[in-house]
Formats: sequence, structure tokens, C-alpha cells
Amino acid sequence: MASEHAAMLKESVADFIARGMDIGRVRKLRGTPGEYDRAVWKQMADLGWLGIAVPEAYGGMGLGLAETAIVAEGLGRALAPEPYTACAVLAATILAEGDNEPLKADVLPRIAGGDLIPAVAWQEQAGATDGAHVALAATPFEGGYRLNGTKRYVVGAAGADAYIVAGKADSGLVLGYLDRNAAGVTQALEPLADGRHFGTLALDNALVPRERVIATGDAAAAALSRALDRARAVASAELYGVMSRALEMSVDYMKTRVQFGKPIGSFQALQHRAVNLYIQQQLASATLDDSLRVLDRDPEPRQRAAIASRLKARCSDAGVRIAREAIQIHGAIGFTDEYDAGLYLKRALVLAAWLGTATQHRRRYAALALQSED
Amino acid sequence: MAEIDYNALPDADFRAMVREFVETEYPQDMRFLSRRIRMDEARPWWNKLVKKGWIAPNWPRELGGMALDPGKMVIYLEEMERHGVMRAADQGITQVGPILMKYGTDAQKDYFLERTRTGDIIWAQGYSEPNAGSDLANLQTSAVIEGDEFVINGMKIWTSFAQESTHIYLLVRTDREAKKQKGISFLLIESDLPGITIRPIRNIAGHEEFCQVFFDNVRVPRDRLVGKLNEGWTVAKALLGHERLNIGSPRRPQYALMRLEMLARAKGLMDDAGFVDRFVAIKLDLEDLASLYGRYVEQVKRGEPLGPDVSQLKIWAMEVWQQLTDLLVETGAEDGVIEGAHDVAGVELDFLAPFYYARPGTIYGGSSEVQRNILSKYVLELPS
Repeated sequence: MASEHAAMLKESVADFIARGMDIGRVRKLRGTPGEYDRAVWKQMADLGWLGIAVPEAYGGMGLGLAETAIVAEGLGRALAPEPYTACAVLAATILAEGDNEPLKADVLPRIAGGDLIPAVAWQEQAGATDGAHVALAATPFEGGYRLNGTKRYVVGAAGADAYIVAGKADSGLVLGYLDRNAAGVTQALEPLADGRHFGTLALDNALVPRERVIATGDAAAAALSRALDRARAVASAELYGVMSRALEMSVDYMKTRVQFGKPIGSFQALQHRAVNLYIQQQLASATLDDSLRVLDRDPEPRQRAAIASRLKARCSDAGVRIAREAIQIHGAIGFTDEYDAGLYLKRALVLAAWLGTATQHRRRYAALALQSED
Repeated sequence: MAEIDYNALPDADFRAMVREFVETEYPQDMRFLSRRIRMDEARPWWNKLVKKGWIAPNWPRELGGMALDPGKMVIYLEEMERHGVMRAADQGITQVGPILMKYGTDAQKDYFLERTRTGDIIWAQGYSEPNAGSDLANLQTSAVIEGDEFVINGMKIWTSFAQESTHIYLLVRTDREAKKQKGISFLLIESDLPGITIRPIRNIAGHEEFCQVFFDNVRVPRDRLVGKLNEGWTVAKALLGHERLNIGSPRRPQYALMRLEMLARAKGLMDDAGFVDRFVAIKLDLEDLASLYGRYVEQVKRGEPLGPDVSQLKIWAMEVWQQLTDLLVETGAEDGVIEGAHDVAGVELDFLAPFYYARPGTIYGGSSEVQRNILSKYVLELPS
């Protein structure tokens, strides 16, 4: 990426957030089924953010993860509830990786334009990391596939227009595209710590016609696995934004809050605590930069997976730790709902849990990076 | 004297050149030692580097150095580290040389630089004092001017390998009235002057690595002062940032990790989820350290000075290193507390040497606590 390009994008993200992304909006939307804002989503599209991961041929910018990460970091700092990583990265990447040209030509430009929000329903078990391990039945019929089963933990579901669903046929994985209102699709919402929701989809003979099949078999598995790893990297960037802002808040507070006649930031016990958090944030930052650089060179799947896991492990741990300790540094005020520190902790918790926890990713990394030396 | 302009070579060619030399010339059995090396052991390698013209990569060519630019310097050090080349008593090259080039008189440069380069002079660093610890400026050893001489009285401690040094570079207090960091001067003296007593201190690993040095009315001529009187602190401080970069290199912990992994495979622990969780957490701590280190290396390569934030590198590197050697000893169980290298499941390993070797890393070069104070004050800008 040209560095001027990155600098411009950074500026535009910072600008946008300074203008309209106040936390009051986040508070207002939290806990409601209208958990994110379509008008804001449309503005993000107009700025070109939603097309970053969409190839140029389909109305996007076809840029890399490094650019995507700049947007995600900014949204993380602002605690924006819009499902950028889930919909503009994970869903768009799956579609772009699929081999259904007419579907791509129809759907991808509308995603980039902010007129269509797809959510990805790949997961059935909590803690799943492998997209190929699904049980939901995809039964072939003459015109396509019939889906039966349940999907859980669908991020962005509350306001989604469509779902990308992963099913299992005898011939292997099937990725299908379903409209929100398709027959046989029922959605329920589960409230999340950060005021957003996971969607649960019950599919009862929901039909995916052939022309709505994104990919099947090995191609489907490869598309999903690549998209998940790239989404992990972007979620890590979002976590980096969350932790950076939480750390700033804590350090600022330490400079102004007076106790025992001195600013609490003059106490060595707290200073060292803040420095430990700073080191974690810096490690996350250096790891993020290095990982994105490698991922943007499109390494082979095993290396890609190892890097994504290393990155998600660091950012999940650092994000939750910094946000958790921000509460302690702030004292009682940090534990109140009216103070923002708690919102940062809750967003960090959700992002750390989604797409694989730190421990899971360390195990995945172990499996990928240790076995090669056997 | 070196004829080649190393900086004009493509990086890859320069790297290959250094690698080839180290691979063929550096003895196998001296690689990745888990202790600091003594000068008599280092001497043959030192002489080889002198002969090659490579002993002083950071010195200018007219002084027998390689005059490497920051980028080439990083490559040189990386290749040394890759082969586990142990640092000899190279403080003369890394510290005294640059200090003299910047602050020394012509006479001092003429006398000391060439002898330092060839290893005829071996330097020990007389900075620390009893009760001062990382509070380096809290020093009591005094030098009083009498006629043409300084008269030195006091005591230095933790002076590494003073017993085999020929010279000591020394911080002394020359003005008792001035504030802590003022009133300090920088002197160069012989280690065997009348009035100097050197007493080695045995460390917990059983090595006599550092010493106590006593000064009892030691007289040195006034021309041994480097820089201005009472401005020795500025002289000594100039090089601290690069020390933190060097100490923050991931190589030493990486070698400890290799050993831990060898042990774990030999004992079949890679099937033990509890062990693997801990192992991978530390392995990733180390990989992420390498990313952080890489950032600073790039900064040096671009020719930018290192700021106080580099302190984080030393903290993290040393803590990861210690955790690795902790886990190595723990994983050894009873074998982990047997002294010396011994056979465990078919692998020859020394558990305690790396464990001891890693201990002082959070103490020397400014303790981790002091590094945290630096970060807190100058990077996070927290109030004092």
C-alpha cells in the first residue's frame, strides 16, 4: 500500500469518527434490535470503506487488509456498532472467493455501495474455529440445495438483508446465499455484552436455488477458511482500536484524578501497571503490522492460518486485559454504566470471543507451527 | 585497513559475506554459550576479527573500523547472533570507542583507540556503586583535583570482568555541591594503579563474573578526563538507547526456546495440552517480541535516533527470556536441578546455566523497574 494512501485513509477515518461517531449514539442503539445504523453504514459506503475488500471488477476497490484494518481500528476506537468486519470483510470475502460469477456481479456492487448487508452463518458450536466442520444438512435437489438445521452466533444478523449459510452435503461443504425473508428462515436474537446481538437461524427446508450457490466442496471450504482468517486479522485491528482508546482513557485519567493529595498517576504501583498495558498494546501493534504485511502477500493457507491465529491470540488477550485493567485504574467510576470504560471492556470481550479465543488460537497455532517440525 | 566499502554492497551480498566468515571461522563449541565469555577464551576469535578488519563494525575506516551504516550494522549483528557468537568484553569497541571519538582529546584518541581495537587494552565499566543500583547518578566515588592529578577514593561494584581488564572507564563525583546528575566526571584509568584493589564476586551461577573495585587515594593525571569537568553524565548517557536495543534482541530467548522444545519433544510433552498451552504462549510472546524488535531495527536502519520508548523492548525481552528458562527448569523436574549438562531422554542439556544466565537481565542495564519508570515518565508522560 502506498503510504500516502494509508495516511489519507487514516485521516478520513479519524475525521468521520470525530464528526458523527460519538459514544452517545452507541449507547442509544445498544440493546435494541436496531443495533446499528443504516444511515451511518451508507456514509461508510460513500467513503469507499465497504468496497475495500471487494474486487474492482465488482465495484469495489480491491485493496488489501492493511487498508481494511485502518478502518476497523478507527471503528474500534469509536466503539461503532456497525458490523464492518462481519459484513464488509467476512461476507464480502466469501462471496468474492466463490465461483458464482452472476451472483458476484449482482451482489458485490450492492455490498460495496452499502445497499445490501449480508451476514455470515457458518457456525453451530461455540468456540468453533474450523469452517469446514458443519452439521447443518444441505440436501441436493434438482434446482439447488435444501437447508435444514440451526446456525448460531451470527454477527450483524439484527439488521442483515441476507445470509451466507454454510451447509454440509454428501459431496462436501456448500455455501448458499439466502434472502432474509426467504421461506423457511427464522431468526432469533441473543443479546451480547456490548449491546449488540448474535443471530440464531433456524432453517426449515430453506431453499438455495442453484443460481444462489456461492461455492461447493473444496472451493467452498477454501473460500470460507480464507475469509475467516482475513476476518480474524481485521477483528484484531478492531481490538487494537479498542485497546488503544481504553489505554489512552486510563492514562489521561491517571494524570487528572487526585487522591491522597496527588494525581494517581504519580504512584509507582499504578505507573508500572500502565506501562505493562502499554507494552501489551505495543506488542499488539507490532504484531498487527507484521501480520498484515504477510497476509497481504497471500501466503499459502497453512502459513496464513498460523499468522492469523498468532495475531488474534495477541490482540484478544491484550484487548481484554487493557480494557479490564482500565476499570481498576478508574476505580469505582470505571464500574458505572455511565462511564465509557465499561463499554470498551464489553466490546473487547465480544471481539475476543468471536472467531476464536486467545487460547484456541494458541492451540491452533501450536497445531500449525509445531507439527511441521516433527 | 579495510579497503572494501561495505555500505556500497547489496545487503544480501554483505550478509552472505559475514555469514560465510562466521560459519567457517567461529568455533562450533563456542556457539550459544549460556554464560558470559572470559577474555582469554575470546582472544583467538578477537584476533581473527582484528586481522580481518572486522572487530569494530561501528568505527570509521581510518580508525580500522568497517564504518557500517545503520542498516549494514544491523545485518552484521544479526549474523553474529544467528550463529550464537558470544559477545566478548567488547565494551571498548561499543562504548569507549564512540565516547572517545565524540568527546576525547586528540591525545586520548591517539593513545587509546588503536590499542582498544587490537585488544591490547581491555576495558571494564566502572559505573555502578554499592547502594546506588540502577540509580546510577547516585554515585559517591570522588575525584578531587590536586595539582595536575585527580585523587580518587571510593568503591565500584558489579564491574564485570574487572579482574581481567587493563583499564576502567569510570564515573566519579567531582562536585559534591552540585545536583545529582551534575558534578559527575568521566575518567579513563589503568586497572593496576597503586591504591586499586579488585575483588571478584562469585555469582549465583558460581562464576566470578563481576567484581568490587576499591579506590584508595588513586592518583591519575588530569588528562584522563573525557569531556568537560562535571559533565560526565552526558558522556555516559549518550549510548544507553542502543544498549536497550541490543539487549532487546530476541536471539537469546530464541535459543532458550530451542532447548525447551528439544526437551519437550524428547520427553513427549508435545502431546500434553497443559504443557503445550504454556509453551505456545511463551513462543508467541517471543514471536511478538521479534515483531517489536523489528520495528526498532527499521528505525535504526532509517538512521533515526532511538527514543525512551525502546525501554519496553528490554523489559519484554528479559521477562520472556526468564519465563522461558523458568519453564525449562520446571519441565526438567528433578533433572532440572542437577548441575551441569547431562543426558535427559537422549538429549544433552544444561538446565541451570540458561536459568542463571537469564536472571540478571531484569537487573543490569537499568532494572525493569527503572525502565518502567522511564516509560511512565517520558512515554506515557505520567506525573511524578
